[in-house]
Amino acid sequence: MKKILTKMKMPFCQGCGHGIIVRSIAKALEQLGYENKDTIIVSDIGCSGLVDPLFDTHSIHGLHGRAPALGVGVSLGLDNPGKKVIVIQGDGGVTIGLQHVLEAARRNIDITLVVMNNLLYGMTGGQISGLSTRKFKEQRDFEVDVPPFDIVKLAHVSGAAFSARATSIKTYPDVMKEALEVNGFSIVEFSSLCTSYAFKKLDQLQEVIEPPEIFKNERIPVRIHQRVTNSLFDKLDVVEKQFDSKIKSGIGVVVAGSAGGGVQSAAKMLATAGMLSGLHATMKGEYPVTVGTGFSVAEVILSRSYVNYTGLEKPDVVIIVSEDGLNKVRGKIKDNDTVIIDSSLKTDEYPDAIYGDFVRNAGKRGAALAALAYWLKNSTLIDVDALKKAVSTHKYSKVLLEAIDKGMS
Amino acid sequence: METLTKKMVFTDASMIITEACVRAGSDVFIGYPITPSNRFYQYGTQRFPSFLAGPDEITVMQWMSGFSAAGKFPVTATAFPGLALMAEGLNMAYAMELPMLLILTQRLGPSTGSATTGAQGDLMFLNGLISGKYPIPVFSHSDFEDAWDMTYESIKMAIKFRTPVVLLTSKELVMTNKSFDINKLKEIIPVKKFSTEVIEPYAPYKTGEEMVPAYIPLGDEKYQVRINASTHNDAGLIKKNDPESMANTKRLKEKFEKRIDEFTFYDYDKEEKAKKLIVTYGISADASRDAVGKLREEGEMVSLLIVKTLLPVPGAILDIINTYDEIVFVEENISGIYKEILFGVDHNPKIKSVNKIGNLISPTEIIKAVKQ
Ligand code: SF4
Repeated sequence: MKKILTKMKMPFCQGCGHGIIVRSIAKALEQLGYENKDTIIVSDIGCSGLVDPLFDTHSIHGLHGRAPALGVGVSLGLDNPGKKVIVIQGDGGVTIGLQHVLEAARRNIDITLVVMNNLLYGMTGGQISGLSTRKFKEQRDFEVDVPPFDIVKLAHVSGAAFSARATSIKTYPDVMKEALEVNGFSIVEFSSLCTSYAFKKLDQLQEVIEPPEIFKNERIPVRIHQRVTNSLFDKLDVVEKQFDSKIKSGIGVVVAGSAGGGVQSAAKMLATAGMLSGLHATMKGEYPVTVGTGFSVAEVILSRSYVNYTGLEKPDVVIIVSEDGLNKVRGKIKDNDTVIIDSSLKTDEYPDAIYGDFVRNAGKRGAALAALAYWLKNSTLIDVDALKKAVSTHKYSKVLLEAIDKGMS
Repeated sequence: METLTKKMVFTDASMIITEACVRAGSDVFIGYPITPSNRFYQYGTQRFPSFLAGPDEITVMQWMSGFSAAGKFPVTATAFPGLALMAEGLNMAYAMELPMLLILTQRLGPSTGSATTGAQGDLMFLNGLISGKYPIPVFSHSDFEDAWDMTYESIKMAIKFRTPVVLLTSKELVMTNKSFDINKLKEIIPVKKFSTEVIEPYAPYKTGEEMVPAYIPLGDEKYQVRINASTHNDAGLIKKNDPESMANTKRLKEKFEKRIDEFTFYDYDKEEKAKKLIVTYGISADASRDAVGKLREEGEMVSLLIVKTLLPVPGAILDIINTYDEIVFVEENISGIYKEILFGVDHNPKIKSVNKIGNLISPTEIIKAVKQ
């Protein structure tokens, strides 16, 4: 069997703990019988990110703190579950990308995360990280009493199948082996001594290391499922011309009401009725980001020719069935528009408006459709039967047909 | 297959683009919900072979990169706030040379702006997105048919050039329903992902004439694959200040420049003898089409250029523009971003700009500008 490590000299400073961890990973892989191309090393940024050329395996070198998320993608994307994805990062990487670690643990994705915790940012001069210690020498003002994150416990409570901290060099290969044998998310935090900065920056070095521990969750790892799906177009109704229309070139209709009042679906029915009458149709809706409160406005254009520009410079017909709707379209109505308003809305703003009892007769949810039916019946621009046909395939067709009848009565 | 029968449906471009993605062979949609890209997310859950809900856009971009490195084609859809979070990850995927598609639905900014109001405000950010101004391919569509075609082209390009590609769209383009004959859509053949021709001895970033390294996924049994976002040599290992690594970095720009003809897309409606040209893209194309129709009815001679390869800027686009005496750029943003990319901020008497925020630019506004 080929060695997992290349012949390259360790790139770390003299005495740096990272080299011991790298050798322990390799030893564990070799003892478990992993071949070079069975292993994918995903590396982070910082001193721990120098590992790629040390491993004679597949490797991918990404961004600071993001390696666990990158590793999740690799693991889920692989077809062969026999491959081992090992993510390596430092305590700085864990700090900036904490979410990614917890997310991988929560989903129990099949990767092994190695955290080389040297309690500081080595590459940038020994600054404090979220996994550092209270014994950090530098003045940290009010942060002095802030405890470090315990990534081992955090991963465990997030759902990791295996979380461990190893603090004694002798135990490294065995703990690593145990982590690699886990089917799911495993994390090992190894204590690593940064010879360049630890003595300068940390007090009472013996005391700053948290005790070794191992936690387990009995879980099945998340794997990606490949589904066979049908074309989105299969769900669409194919509409064929069955009616005639008196619309000469084109017409723009605005339906204004309240969210939850069936405005958008009524407008869609009008568009479909137009298509059933051999016309081109466009529709756009506007409503607040909340659901079921506030206004709901829909614009429909019906035209003999294909509609490029879908903005309505001037609507021909405006249908208003609620106060919210009225407030929304106020100011957009021009003198010569046909305006149809529900009689419950006492407004004298539009002296030529036609009033109808849509809400009283067809209820709040049926009012928009009833008002459209009323308009079609009187304008005869589109056959009301086309509108009825349009609602006939709807799951609430019975109620909708009643609303249309109420509008015409 | 050619068919004479019509199949009229009432749909939107979000559905058309999602369907095109899957037909072209996309494997996974990784989404984080954001208005006005929500329909992509919704259709994505229904149609993609796999779907993942990311916890944030930074994670989404990392997961996508992981999938891509493992040989799966990922797609996501977002808006500017999401894109901003993805910026570092996109630089990573770009440097690693990972194929993927990002659908960017533009909405009114700055910042969170108005989530449900369309805009064309993100092209300048995309133009400088990759540190060092390496070009990231940005395609746009202007109607349902080219929503389909440009999605297909985006995916082909992403794989052929091993690169993230942005399909730039906007709220009104993907959330407006229209009656449409789906039989007009051309057949899409799934794009072949992996390279069959490998230059031996294999090195992950070694390239030949085509200037694009072979696409071999991580975990391959034959080749040892090394992928790297930092400055790297052909072996995929970090190497600073070294000619091979610098050549690899320069190649990220050169591969597009050298082969730009392979992905130059536009619609050019040329009026013989016209001295005026309207240049537009995306959501402003429809109003421009109507404006040109009316202007010609009134006897005004004007040509129309609808650009679909926005970045990098193909020379062919400039060649067309430079044959006109007067150029009117139509874009739904405050200052004319595309115009500024092509011609800078200097005042050029040949160039006019029709701009607006908060609403679609209307044909009337374009006509007025052309006649002035
Ligand atoms: S700076 Fe510290 S962590 Fe980095 S290689 Fe040197 S000793 Fe190791």
